Amino acid sequence: MEIIDLISPESVVPNLRATSKKQALQELARRAADLVGLPERTVFDVLLDRERLGTTGVGNGIAIPHGKLPDLNRLHGLFARLEKPINFDSIDEQPVDLIFLLLAPESAGADHLKALARVSRLLRDKAVCEKLRGTDSAEGLYALLTDNPATRAA
Amino acid sequence: MDSINLLILVCAGLAVAAVFTSVLAFRFGAPLLLLFLGLGLAAGVDGLGGIDFSDTHTAFLIGSAALALILFDSGYHTSLKSYRQAAAPAITLATLGVLVTTALVALPGRYLLHLSWSEALLLGTLLSSTDAAALFFLLRTGGITIRDRVRSTLEVESGSNDPMAIFLTLTLVTLLTGQQASGPWQILGRFILAGGGGVGMGLLGGWLIIAVVNRLRLDPGLTPVAVMGLAAAVFGLTNLLGGSGFLAAYLAGLLAGNAKLQGGGGLRRFQDGITWLAQIAMFVTLGLLATPSQFPALLGAAALLAAVLTFVARPLAVFLCLTPFGFGKRERVFVAWVGLRGAVSILLGLVPLLQGVPQAGRFFDIAFLVVVASLLVQGWTVRPLARWLGLIVPDKTGPVDRMEVDLPGLADREMVAYVLHPDSAVAQGRPLPRWARPILVRRAGRLSSTPGPLQAGDRVFLLAAPHQVPLLDGLFGRVRDQAETEAGLYGDFAMTPDITVAALRDAYGLGLPALPDALTLAELFRREFRQDLELGDRLHLGPVDLIVRDMTDGRITSVGIALDPSPPVGWERLKLRLEARFPRLFGAAS
Repeated sequence: MEIIDLISPESVVPNLRATSKKQALQELARRAADLVGLPERTVFDVLLDRERLGTTGVGNGIAIPHGKLPDLNRLHGLFARLEKPINFDSIDEQPVDLIFLLLAPESAGADHLKALARVSRLLRDKAVCEKLRGTDSAEGLYALLTDNPATRAA
Repeated sequence: MDSINLLILVCAGLAVAAVFTSVLAFRFGAPLLLLFLGLGLAAGVDGLGGIDFSDTHTAFLIGSAALALILFDSGYHTSLKSYRQAAAPAITLATLGVLVTTALVALPGRYLLHLSWSEALLLGTLLSSTDAAALFFLLRTGGITIRDRVRSTLEVESGSNDPMAIFLTLTLVTLLTGQQASGPWQILGRFILAGGGGVGMGLLGGWLIIAVVNRLRLDPGLTPVAVMGLAAAVFGLTNLLGGSGFLAAYLAGLLAGNAKLQGGGGLRRFQDGITWLAQIAMFVTLGLLATPSQFPALLGAAALLAAVLTFVARPLAVFLCLTPFGFGKRERVFVAWVGLRGAVSILLGLVPLLQGVPQAGRFFDIAFLVVVASLLVQGWTVRPLARWLGLIVPDKTGPVDRMEVDLPGLADREMVAYVLHPDSAVAQGRPLPRWARPILVRRAGRLSSTPGPLQAGDRVFLLAAPHQVPLLDGLFGRVRDQAETEAGLYGDFAMTPDITVAALRDAYGLGLPALPDALTLAELFRREFRQDLELGDRLHLGPVDLIVRDMTDGRITSVGIALDPSPPVGWERLKLRLEARFPRLFGAAS
């Protein structure tokens, strides 16, 4: 499972505007809904449900909201770089400015877990995050996210 | 006169040389105690020094006194909390485990080395006890934090199995020399006396030490002398009365170390010094006493016994003793491997010599060789193994620049001084708790009691209770960049402990059969770990691991979920690390 299997250049948002966690999730749900062709409300509810189990703000300015949708054909990712960091109830209480959204089909099971683990490992790399923060074009971000996965494995 | 001066010169020279070798050891991570032993060998009869030291009595005297002080100190540094947590498994290991190990080591002694049963058993007991000094040194000075339960178990075990091994050795030696009436009932009686006397005198001694230190207004310089003197006196008196002096010394230390003592800081520093001196004296003396020219003949036997001990006897004893206590496989593997043998085995090897057992010299030599093998092989591999098995807890804080000053007349407060690290929580704007207001700050060479906001580099003086010091370390020390290790140990995502199994199952499409839907994650952990729950405990649930991320007052406040739990452990982690270092080697493959 590699990042390139999850996102396309169209699913990278270089400068998302939001002032709160809810607004960010709403905005992401809207864009994701467009990508996968499902109602915005459905996507948003799934994300909210997951946040209720515990925040997906994993610290160091990163959030990885995710959820399962019954009518999805495959795993879909959406990456957003925020214009201004927002409060996301993160575990380290730091504001979030990089968000990777992941939607999985109901039946994905193990693939869902593997994809999440892959995203989580990628965004744990401080150097990668610094580069993502310093890049403001969709193409640049896409290249960074999908670039040379082996060196990032550790 | 000159001979006395020469003696002083030689002893002091050896001590100083031992201190210097410690620089080497810290740099290379070599087992320091082995270097001390090697120094003794080098100075000894077959080494460069050529000192012909063969006074078994003196060696035993020095060794016993040193061991008593080391055991007192190891008790002193064991917190009652971890003692309680580890007591049951550790004492099982120290009693049943010692018996099993003895028996299993005796078998090859009997059938492969063709010793008599009593001789083979004697050899087994010599090698049956793990060494407190070696173990404490490795676990504490090694700069790693091993998970509480594993570390406490190992430490309490090594503190309490020496008395057992010593008792067995003495019993077997009396059997071999036929000195005393030794029917099974007499042996049992002596065992009860040794254990009971040791416990009783230890508690009494600990109480006495606390009373003397806190009630009498001693000169601060005399306090540590009094404590050490009393510890040694308890040891000697208990032995004279037929109890186990080593057990008494350990328990007295445990009691004294957990009480609030006047001038605790000074006492601790003095004791650290004395314990170092005791280790150096013991190991150098034993190295000096050995005659390496006799070793080659016994090398084969020693190698065989070391192998049986390390790969068969110890692992079997550990698996047998620890399985009922719910230790995981990785924890048992670690405890089995870290059964370090040390000075106690060599010291016990002197007992048959002292008591005139025929051909006793070879017991000593074999014990010596097995200990060297154990220190070399196990001592050097403890750290990588712990990391490999994922038993190391990342320190919450990085290095801390801290100084403690005792306040005369106050046992429950001390003055602590920190140099504020630029990357510390406080320097990054974290407010100080109410109880941690600085009373004095030194900035740019000037002292002030009203400095305004703290800045990096300030030396901050404040009053704190000793148990609050770790919290202060977390505020004033450098916050480590630990995202990577954290995720390995505490999982990818944090979850609320009161969500149910059903919710978790739905969120990730997990199978999780055989778990009631309404069970919350906190209850699940309680059910599996009962009272032993601690930070970092893991539950394997199908493809994911749940981990205790955070606790307050014994309640779980955050649960981590590791989605892909295999990578951070063992082979996989090594592979990831290699991939990171040599991307080209792996790039084509992946």
